[in-house]
Amino acid sequence: MGIPLQYNLRNLVVRKVSTGMTVLGIALVVTVFLLVMSLAEGVRKTLATAVSPLNVIVLRVGAQSDVQSYVSRDQDEAIRTLDGLARGADGQPLVSPELVVLINIPKRDGKRTNVIVRGVEPVAFTIRGDSVRLVEGRMFQTGTSEAIVSTRERQRFPSMTIGGVLKAGSERWTVVGVFDAAGSPYDSEVWADLHNVQDQAHRTTGFSSVVARASDSGARDRLVAAVQGDLCIKLEAIPENDYFSKQMGTAKPIEFLAYFVAIIMAVGASFGAMNTMYAQVSARTREIATLRALGFSRAIVLVSFVLESVALGLAGGLLGAAIALVVVRLFLTAPTGTSNFATFAEILFNFQLTPALVASGVVFSLAMGLFGGLFPAARAARLKIINVLREA
Amino acid sequence: MKYFRFIWKNVFRKKSRAFLTLASIVLVLVLIVVLSSLLEAMEYDTGRTKGAANVVVQHATGLGNFMPLAYRQKIEQIPGVVAVAPQIWFGGIYIDERPQNFFGQLSTDPDVWAIVHDDYTIPGDQLKAWQSERDSFIAGRQLIDRYGWKIGDRIQLKGTYISMNLDLELRGVYTGPDESNIFFHNKYLENSFVGRLSQTGIFYLRTEAPERVPAICDAINRMFENSDAPVKAMPEKQFMLQFTEMMGNVKLLVRSIALTVLFTVVLIVANTMAMSARERVTQIAVIRAMGFRRRQVLVLVLSEAIVLALLGGVAGAAGSFPFTWGLIWLMKKTPVAMFAYNIKISGATLITAFAASVAIGVLAGFVPAIRSARISIVDGLRQVA
Repeated sequence: MGIPLQYNLRNLVVRKVSTGMTVLGIALVVTVFLLVMSLAEGVRKTLATAVSPLNVIVLRVGAQSDVQSYVSRDQDEAIRTLDGLARGADGQPLVSPELVVLINIPKRDGKRTNVIVRGVEPVAFTIRGDSVRLVEGRMFQTGTSEAIVSTRERQRFPSMTIGGVLKAGSERWTVVGVFDAAGSPYDSEVWADLHNVQDQAHRTTGFSSVVARASDSGARDRLVAAVQGDLCIKLEAIPENDYFSKQMGTAKPIEFLAYFVAIIMAVGASFGAMNTMYAQVSARTREIATLRALGFSRAIVLVSFVLESVALGLAGGLLGAAIALVVVRLFLTAPTGTSNFATFAEILFNFQLTPALVASGVVFSLAMGLFGGLFPAARAARLKIINVLREA
Repeated sequence: MKYFRFIWKNVFRKKSRAFLTLASIVLVLVLIVVLSSLLEAMEYDTGRTKGAANVVVQHATGLGNFMPLAYRQKIEQIPGVVAVAPQIWFGGIYIDERPQNFFGQLSTDPDVWAIVHDDYTIPGDQLKAWQSERDSFIAGRQLIDRYGWKIGDRIQLKGTYISMNLDLELRGVYTGPDESNIFFHNKYLENSFVGRLSQTGIFYLRTEAPERVPAICDAINRMFENSDAPVKAMPEKQFMLQFTEMMGNVKLLVRSIALTVLFTVVLIVANTMAMSARERVTQIAVIRAMGFRRRQVLVLVLSEAIVLALLGGVAGAAGSFPFTWGLIWLMKKTPVAMFAYNIKISGATLITAFAASVAIGVLAGFVPAIRSARISIVDGLRQVA
């Protein structure tokens, strides 16, 4: 028979201050870990938000993103002749030539960052389906220097309100509408009229990329192969979803920071827990000896103390997760951004504290408790009954 | 000082506890040192002094846009400008796309390279050899160590946003503050690439003195204000800061992590000190009975915490060196590899770590020290520990 868990829990409650400090120490480690990880998770989720699995993006060979790419008018025409393209209501193939320009504009905090302005034709909205839709204001008019911005951007840039003007160098766009791209990477962009962007950027000879919608998934794979094999097009095609997931590397440094900090802190915090448990064992030697004299085996004493420490860790983990949850829900609601290494523009995202992350944080705290309790529990189990009971 | 032995003995009264507490302080200080070195590297603050007289000119819209090469002659005529080098960031792929094989590849004008980059050194014969051969390049010492290149070796770079491949021969090795780049002839790019023949990404220029930099930046900005391609001129440091600012609120993130970490270790150490003080109520009552004043008891217990924290601080500062080297080694495999080469542990960082350890000691020892000082002799002696 084991020692009742209540014995351990009551012991934790009796020494309030010491327990409280140890729990808070573990909780803060879990909070830091969860907050940084939810940042990385936000980047991942943004890049993994599928727009349409049937979309294919065509780029120049070797280009890692559309910012680095160039597609000529002839190449665009050649793509339109390929088989397997979906067709719109007007019978035209769903092919969208697009031009992206990086503009450097100030954020609310006054610092500058790079934002993608994507010049598109109306077909671009058909190809993105419902995932890019206008939520406020109106659509830009073809042939004018009007633009629409995303809801996330509106919170981040002071110039991005309806009627506001985006200025970068000699280029100017007037904001007339706000769109929502369902959390996809397009939520980090400004969209404007293709020909206007071409004119303003002095890049009228071609486009950055061509996005095409395939009629079904089999046609999509054939389309990708067809572009690769076509000697006249000489471009590279990738499904739009793969294109964005290739940019996941953006989250790597943040994740790395999270693990680096969390592991070092976790070792430190479990040393703290270890101290607390050692102090407990030495303060309760007579209790332990009595338990042993009553017939509880060494193994049961060991398990009992390990459990006490794990409970300490669990309390810390739950508290830490709760703090992280409150911070993310109440204070970190505004979108934040980091540099996307493939496009050199800022990618906007929200902190994402997923249940899986919370679970990993709690598991993490249990590990701290386990590691912190193992050695003190072993000491408790090794105590010699006679010696201890004879003392004092 | 005469009580130092007493304090020392009390710190190590329980060996395992002292060791564990020290270990957590050491770990946290390692973390603090590494994080603040990271911050310094991101702020591009690691001991660059000569760059202060340099200016970078880019297209006002943003870095992705190119400017006419003809601007060079106009900029050169501005008083105070010593030399102007048009440069293009090639961003090509060497061997494969893995981030650890990424390094800066810049086209430049070799004739003025040594003037604009006057904080770099290169043997005179190597510079001459490079200047005279159009398909040659020079590389920073760090890259030579990384890839084991020798003079005369050829490398191939696959273009990403510039659609061409480079085939270059190593002609020289330079040393200086940033040894993670290669430089090659912009004529090589211009002659092979149609379309951007007469354009460049940035102008990198050297001015006579740092004091002249603001006026020169203004003059350049005004000169092209109403042209097709307006420009933005800025001091080199500000140009570099663009890249870290783009990483968003990383600095704030790192700072808040460092603060939380500090707070956590204060909790851990304070808890240890409190436990240790609680176990010694009798001892404190005895020394009070011997005539020690309350204030002396307070100072004694507080000193214990500070001694412990300082020991941890010294060990942590020493231990942070191997950790930082490990971090640099790991970071070279990520897309932020370029920052890895800037990471150095500076004197300022070590002072910060030292101050942090004193702060840990004071904050953690304060409450236990006051409590110990308040112990009444009678109660303390009566209590059987």
